[in-house]
Amino acid sequence: MHILLVEDDSPLAESIATAMRSRGWRADVSARGEPVPASLLQDAYDALVLDIGLPGIDGLETLRRVREQGSYLPVLMLTARDGVEDRVLGLEWGADDYLVKPFALSELLARLRALVRRHELRRSETLVLSALRFDASARRACIAERAIQLSARECIVLQYLMLKTGQVVAREQLTALVPGWDAATSDNALEMLMSRLRGKIEPGGVRLRTVRGLGYLLEPAAPA
Amino acid sequence: MSGLPAERQPSLRRGLLVWLLLPLVVLIPLTTALIFGLTLRPALDALDRASTDTAVALSQIVEVRDGRASLPLSEQTARALRADLVDETMFAVGDGDGQLLGGSASLLKLAPRMQAGQWRFFEAKIDAKPIRVAAHGMQCGARADQVCAILVAETLGKRSAVERAALLAALSGALVLALPLVVLAMLAVNRAMRPLSRAAAEVELLTPDRLETIDVRGVPREVTPFVLALNRLFARLRAAAAAQRAFVSDAAHQLRTPLAVLRVEAAQALATPHAQELRPALERLHAAAERGARLVQQLLALARADGTALDPTQRPQALDLAHLAAQAADRWLQPSLEAGQDLGFDLEPAWVDGYPVLLEELLGNLVHNAIEHAGPGARITIRTRTEDGRARLCVEDDGRGVPADERELAWQRFRRGREAAGTGSGLGLAIVADIARLHDADATLEPGSQGRGLRVQVRFAPRAGHGTT
Repeated sequence: MHILLVEDDSPLAESIATAMRSRGWRADVSARGEPVPASLLQDAYDALVLDIGLPGIDGLETLRRVREQGSYLPVLMLTARDGVEDRVLGLEWGADDYLVKPFALSELLARLRALVRRHELRRSETLVLSALRFDASARRACIAERAIQLSARECIVLQYLMLKTGQVVAREQLTALVPGWDAATSDNALEMLMSRLRGKIEPGGVRLRTVRGLGYLLEPAAPA
Repeated sequence: MSGLPAERQPSLRRGLLVWLLLPLVVLIPLTTALIFGLTLRPALDALDRASTDTAVALSQIVEVRDGRASLPLSEQTARALRADLVDETMFAVGDGDGQLLGGSASLLKLAPRMQAGQWRFFEAKIDAKPIRVAAHGMQCGARADQVCAILVAETLGKRSAVERAALLAALSGALVLALPLVVLAMLAVNRAMRPLSRAAAEVELLTPDRLETIDVRGVPREVTPFVLALNRLFARLRAAAAAQRAFVSDAAHQLRTPLAVLRVEAAQALATPHAQELRPALERLHAAAERGARLVQQLLALARADGTALDPTQRPQALDLAHLAAQAADRWLQPSLEAGQDLGFDLEPAWVDGYPVLLEELLGNLVHNAIEHAGPGARITIRTRTEDGRARLCVEDDGRGVPADERELAWQRFRRGREAAGTGSGLGLAIVADIARLHDADATLEPGSQGRGLRVQVRFAPRAGHGTT
């Protein structure tokens, strides 16, 4: 992964960049927003991490300029204020996610992975989690190059879960995806489908958790 | 203005009424007396004149021959002279020596000493009957001192009637004057006071949450200085609140970035290969960083809960607690798994009007507390409901629970239970209480179902403008 980190506080920027590099990611750091649009044109980044409070043009203005030049790069905003205004503004102006300082390192990395994964699908139509690989155009899943047999419904559900890796997906969201299911009958049917799916994909180093009363969560079996 | 000692305090209304009504109390009886006198006098004079007419008629009948007076009066004439619809009338004529010439002897006894041509009017009694007498002295002989007395008297029937009529006139005049004046005075005072009451009602409506400027238009000029002073006070309070918010915001900004560095570095140090003997220190460092981050977050949440009420730019918005709880799942699932707990949800729509950031904070504190205190293997459930039009948020666990005698104290800031494990600051429930209060909600601590563990319930007030269905 190649990340552009825009953060004016150099200790924080250094900390984050070091943590990323130690995980084998590439991280470039910029302390100001002005050069960001040009940098994005020069290098192929996977995601942009953008602090809102920057000297010169702030994070929101930087984001506006990035979107203005037609970039769809995933953007994660960092903010030191947890008022609603910053969040709403950031999301309205085209940020994909936000984190309030002081965030946990694991949360930052997980959110970035999720963002990049979604972006990946738009670009290459292939989703990867541990050894599990899902080809969205072919509707085919394999674990370490060995194909696994999935029904059409399982394909739909798995694709969605992989897009939302690390996030809780509500039952209603899943049942709404599956054609021919209605709210009355689907709870049981969904449970059976999920249990079959769990048996098929968990050998690929992933974990499909049931969140009681809410839905499901797909994550790597061993936290990164 | 209730709750103030109404006595002893000067009252504008009372003062005005006293100064308006006191003159009326004095002037109206005076006026009544004046009207009474002015109407009665001419009427009584007219009645006396009727008697004098009779007396004059009698004087024309008296004949003086050879120095002796006589009264050649026929019985018919006498009757005609006495005729009266209302009163008993009588007359008496006496000569200069007091001898009766005609009429009533007992009346003549009342004759006063008179000069010729003199008129006297007086009241007297005959046979215990009050009468009014008109007496006339008349020259009736050669000698100047030969004065005949002519008396005409009548009972007081007409006079009483006249007095009654005059009294009635005077009293009705007074009434016609007094009643409207009193009513008008009270109306005028009330009318003059109304803008004052209105201004007071407007001030009454203000709460510490909403110190809005009072409109000076429509307030009487005399009261304007007070209202302006209040408005200036409100402006100062708003400015103070804004300064506090700015401070909180700046403090947040300044504290959060270094804390983020601390958190990231501590986590990174733990994740990087390191000497085994460093591990306990790194773990303590990591825990302290997490705790510091949380404490700052909580302190800022407390300050924000206190400041939100005074911030006119922040308005409550409609939101579903079920949605809020579902969103929180991402954040809390991992920590609960790490603590070996089962975090579950039981969500039904529960709409409230509230501040999303603060309600998130409230829920976060409840879930954090449960994860921190319930212990491994506990089952934690986040529940949302709407009952009787009131939204309810409930976080329940089947862990250790809180002893009954500690439950009330648990709401105080920095208060931690005797059995408290973990690294809590003791602020969590205080924040919950503050945020609940701001939303007109009650928060209660009770044992969980089957008497095990702890259930924290937050019941919101029914939403304004929404039915209880």
